[in-house]
Amino acid sequence: MNFKLVYASLSITLKEFYRSKASMFFVLLFPIILMLLFGLIFQDQGETVYDLHVRDLDGGLNSQNITEMLGNTEIFNIIEVGDEVGDIDDAKDYLTEHKLNAMLVIPEGYSDGFDAIMIDRFLGIPTNDTVDVVMIYDPANTAAMTKISILNSIMDGVNKAATGMPDVLVLEMETTVSDDFDYIDFFAPGIIAMSVMTTALFGTVTINTELRQKGILRKLATTPLSRSEWLLANILYQLCMAVLSTISIILIGVGLFDLNPHLNLFLPLFVILNVFAFSGIGMLITRFVKEAESAHAAANAIMFPMMFLSGTFFPLEGMPDFLQTFAKVLPLYYVNEGLRAAMITLDEGTLMTSTIVLIVLAIVIFILGVLLTSWKHD
Amino acid sequence: MPETIIQVRDLVKQYGDNTAVNSISFDVNEGEVFAFLGPNGAGKTTTVEIIETIRTATSGDIQILGMDVNKNRTEILKRIGVMPQDFSSFDRLTVWETVQYYARLFGSDVDIDRLLKLVNLGEERDKHYVTLSGGLKQRVGIAVALVNDPEIVFLDEPTTGLDPRARRDVWEVVKDLKKRGKTIFLTTHYMEEAEVLADDVAIISKGDIIAHGSVDGLIDRFCSTIHVAIKGAGPGVKEIADEMSLVSESLGNGNVQIEAENNEQVVEILNSLKNKNIGYGSVDIRKANLEEVFLELTGESLIDKGDAK
Ligand SMILES: Nc1ncnc2c1ncn2[C@@H]1O[C@H](COP(=O)(O)OP(=O)(O)OP(=O)(O)O)[C@@H](O)[C@H]1O
Ligand SMILES: [Mg+2]
Repeated sequence: MNFKLVYASLSITLKEFYRSKASMFFVLLFPIILMLLFGLIFQDQGETVYDLHVRDLDGGLNSQNITEMLGNTEIFNIIEVGDEVGDIDDAKDYLTEHKLNAMLVIPEGYSDGFDAIMIDRFLGIPTNDTVDVVMIYDPANTAAMTKISILNSIMDGVNKAATGMPDVLVLEMETTVSDDFDYIDFFAPGIIAMSVMTTALFGTVTINTELRQKGILRKLATTPLSRSEWLLANILYQLCMAVLSTISIILIGVGLFDLNPHLNLFLPLFVILNVFAFSGIGMLITRFVKEAESAHAAANAIMFPMMFLSGTFFPLEGMPDFLQTFAKVLPLYYVNEGLRAAMITLDEGTLMTSTIVLIVLAIVIFILGVLLTSWKHD
Repeated sequence: MPETIIQVRDLVKQYGDNTAVNSISFDVNEGEVFAFLGPNGAGKTTTVEIIETIRTATSGDIQILGMDVNKNRTEILKRIGVMPQDFSSFDRLTVWETVQYYARLFGSDVDIDRLLKLVNLGEERDKHYVTLSGGLKQRVGIAVALVNDPEIVFLDEPTTGLDPRARRDVWEVVKDLKKRGKTIFLTTHYMEEAEVLADDVAIISKGDIIAHGSVDGLIDRFCSTIHVAIKGAGPGVKEIADEMSLVSESLGNGNVQIEAENNEQVVEILNSLKNKNIGYGSVDIRKANLEEVFLELTGESLIDKGDAK
């Protein structure tokens, strides 16, 4: 390996890149658009709070308790309605008049009823008595339906608690709301992983099919430049592109969407391994698929499953088991996991697994690239 | 006795059932311009690229600079210069940067500006490759093929697609290279190019070398016809040809074309015109060319096919 030749080849490809406004535009455009798009879509995810109008006709201790409890879930923003609503019919009129979609009415006698039941339970007297609260809602409104289902879950929890069973549901509600793990944190590493993959894979395929078509590869074959030197120069070039897009993604995330990543050496490490693996795959594709169009189709065929099945946009937990298993053979899965661990969770186990898997993969692909590709054509 | 610098013996190249090169043998001598002349698909590029070590022969023994193409690839590449067919280069590099890049690949410290002057590109040194005209691009190709001061320069169709003026410019460069003692292996489907440049011509058709020799030698051997075109003549010219049993054709307006077989017959035709007092506007005497040799040998035209491209 003559590094002077690698350097000479790298510098001319960079020069060409720098001079072509179009390619510069596209290298940066894709990651930036993705980041902006997803950033805007998921900006408020996890902070959604529903307004809930409550009319407490009872005014007792227990009715105040339940109102307070609903407010404490942080899902509902409780708005107490005053004297103008005297009964259920008033409540309906009030809804229509104020264009509201739902109101919870706690009837008179709620507190006493509740106490009576609790005393019976305490004394061990069996009872089928219940106390009711009334939800008045607009059935055509989806927000109202959401409120009802949330309310139902909470009631469920309360009932289970009252019967002495563990309150599973209430517990789960709390983990969801109180976790700091925003969607942006989940997908920013994914966007980096995917942009770097796409740039490295398609960049390599595009450059090499173009150079082949122009006959430049044939000319290079008549010089002392070796195939592995050319391969390395290509990978280093793609690495420069990867650095550009990674930096722009992080800047946008931090600047616009409160991304707050950990910055450590694992970030560049995974970016480098990502480039090695996918640039190498790109080289192999252009070795075996000579026409530009088919080569791009092959690159697409590799990219799409990776994009959707390796946890870039959606957490894998929601997927069927066989897809989860399948994801674990996709290189991008390890880049995703690794980057996420490096930037957000700092999970050491994941960092180690991803590092090892990717280093092995990158080495194997580079060796295959050197062995299988040859300047000679038939 | 000139030194043999390339020796090809029984070279065969097959692509599946298609025999691109069908057991050809020839020698190229040091210091000469060797032209490989043939129509599209004849097997020119296949042959040169095998000699350049970038394709592998199906069978045959090929020696270049005394080395076997299959064994000494690296050494051979250092000592030859190649301009592939349809040469092209990085769009957004300047001419100077392009030549510099290839020079670096060869570890050569050639004086790039001098090299550019040699191929008449001094003025274009800072222009981006993509902005050059076809003829200038081809000259960049030649410059690039010279960065390592090669002993043999391979030029695969260096003037295809160029206008006559640009073609002549390239020819001048080739002549200059020959003066500098380089051996030049030229492939072309322009017979004129071979006539102007080549010391030695191999005519290749459908994978076979059908004739090989100097331009004059080939013409004398395969097509000695001399075309005598008499223009604006009075009546009686065709009769002269008939008396001598030569092929002739009346083209109207007193223009007659006679095909003489040798110089003596040409003299005889001119004498008869004088003796019979037949006046004429002009006489144009032209030897056969390689095109006609090719036609004679294959029954097919070289030019039409070549320019159809
Ligand atoms: N890589 C290849 N695979 C299959 N067939 C090939 C390949 N290269 C050349 N051929 C075939 O070999 C024959 C000779 O092709 P070649 O390119 O050597 O011709 P050529 O004389 O250089 O023609 P041209 O003037 O068009 O350049 C053609 O029939 C061509 O189709
Ligand atoms: Mg050719």
